[in-house]
Amino acid sequence: MAVACASLPALLLRSVEERPDAVAIVDGNRRVSYAALWGQVSAVAGFLAELEIGKGDRVALFLENSADYVAAYYAILLSGGVVVALNTATKARDIDAWVRHSDARLLIADANHPEYAAILERVDAALPIVALGLNAVSDRNRYTWSQAAATPPAPQHPGDLPEEGLAAIIYTSGTTGNPKGVTLTHGNLSSNTLSILRYLELRPDDSIVNVLPFFYSYGNSILHTHLAAGGRIVLEKSMLYPAQVLNRMAEERVTGFSGVPSTYSILLNRVNLAQYDLSSLRYMTQAGGPMAPADVQRLTSLLPNVRFFVMYGQTEASARLAYLPPEKLFEKLGSIGIAIPGVRIEIRGPDDQELAPNVAGELCAHGRNIMHGYWKDPETTRKVLRDAWLHTGDVAYRDDDGYLYIVGRATDMIKSGAHRISPKEIEEVVLELDGVAETVAVGVPDPMLGQAIKLIVVPKPGSALDSRAIQRHCRDNLANYKIPKLIEFSESLPRTPSGKVQRFKLQ
Amino acid sequence: MSVENKIRTYILENYLFTDDQSMLGSDDSFLQKNILDSTGMLEVIYFLEDEFGIKVQDDEMIPDNLDSVNRISAFLARKGGAA
Repeated sequence: MAVACASLPALLLRSVEERPDAVAIVDGNRRVSYAALWGQVSAVAGFLAELEIGKGDRVALFLENSADYVAAYYAILLSGGVVVALNTATKARDIDAWVRHSDARLLIADANHPEYAAILERVDAALPIVALGLNAVSDRNRYTWSQAAATPPAPQHPGDLPEEGLAAIIYTSGTTGNPKGVTLTHGNLSSNTLSILRYLELRPDDSIVNVLPFFYSYGNSILHTHLAAGGRIVLEKSMLYPAQVLNRMAEERVTGFSGVPSTYSILLNRVNLAQYDLSSLRYMTQAGGPMAPADVQRLTSLLPNVRFFVMYGQTEASARLAYLPPEKLFEKLGSIGIAIPGVRIEIRGPDDQELAPNVAGELCAHGRNIMHGYWKDPETTRKVLRDAWLHTGDVAYRDDDGYLYIVGRATDMIKSGAHRISPKEIEEVVLELDGVAETVAVGVPDPMLGQAIKLIVVPKPGSALDSRAIQRHCRDNLANYKIPKLIEFSESLPRTPSGKVQRFKLQ
Repeated sequence: MSVENKIRTYILENYLFTDDQSMLGSDDSFLQKNILDSTGMLEVIYFLEDEFGIKVQDDEMIPDNLDSVNRISAFLARKGGAA
């Protein structure tokens, strides 16, 4: 299929040519048509060309979801550059670490973000920055977004982008000292986009209110699938004000909605869904960790005409690996479904051999959506990518009908509110405090978040450290969702005879 | 303790982990200043309902009512739950 080799900008251009006047993005009061979006993408690509940013050059994005984010993202791809979209919930020290680790040649950042000043203090003074939200800049190497978006377009064409060319790096669940950057090619992103389009049956008349951040792979896939389908994405900042999100869904007559388990938990527990006119809604999707079957049942009974897709994936797979067809939702409740089109999934034992049905092993996946590795980290890459099969670290089994069920994780990773968090990252920050001798972070069950973060601290003798000082230090240095909710002080940590901390005993 | 102080103290203790009152201005936006996420906002709503004996309705969960200490105080005064 020739179309499967198309890059994301090529898929966007097809929508632009077929539906130039249709609305692509609704951002507050701005309604950006496909033609206008492409105009902005071309202009910013022209600006990047003026800075001589081209093939393989990394450009970091530190922007909330917005029409400008979308224009910047596609402009970088069109230029042959590599998008490094950074988590805007995090703090300056991580941003600086990622910008340096990716050797970004340019940073496009929101000057109104609370971390912006701290970021400027940390990053290399010679790093060029495009600052959104500023009308003028005085320093050399600083540009306004208006400047970038008013540049004459460059002659790039998406047809020139190679399938194997690097397109994006997504930093995920590493530590500041050892960032973990998932590298995705044009072929990875476009093949996953086309596969999702197929099973969700997205069409040009589809539209969505999106509350998920584009810097994560789930939100990223919503963006790309809708632009490739020629649909409309209505941006809402978050689920902070759920009634606002539902009013927007009703006003815009959207056909789709996507969330993580906590999104649906908020909808079920804080608002009365029956009060809103959601008659245009055709489907909903859920990913980002297991959703309680009782919540699935409540939601589908409140919205009986809406198809509900349970999905599963990883950033390392561009986004998506499996989905449960809605017609199987109750027959296979609790399952993550079957492999998406173009992906093969096997459950493997420790010797990498495929296991029989109903036997739990590691979920492994193969397909054109699987990443090419972690940026500058061949050792970790070798651990998860063997013979072009991704070893997800998730323990699962396949039933007699071929449906997959996740039963646990083979790693210590914490999954809280759909964020994948390395306990080491939290421990590294807490150990910076003087009074801490040892510490361990673990995930404990939480009805809203799936897992909440619990920290066990062994204080140094005579230390007067309290929970609040630890949480404050975490708040200053970590994204808010990584701040431990529970802190316990202990004289020692449980260990194996060989000295390894037994994390499971602390959960 | 005044209503405004109760709200400020709750936010400072639970989300900014300090009792330094200067860390949170009365008009600071919880969203813009990255103080609360969606689950944090839910916790704040549960706190308001418990502490002030009110019920926050769907259509009242909007930034105008909840996005700063002052907005919450004014909202509570309108609801009559500030006593």
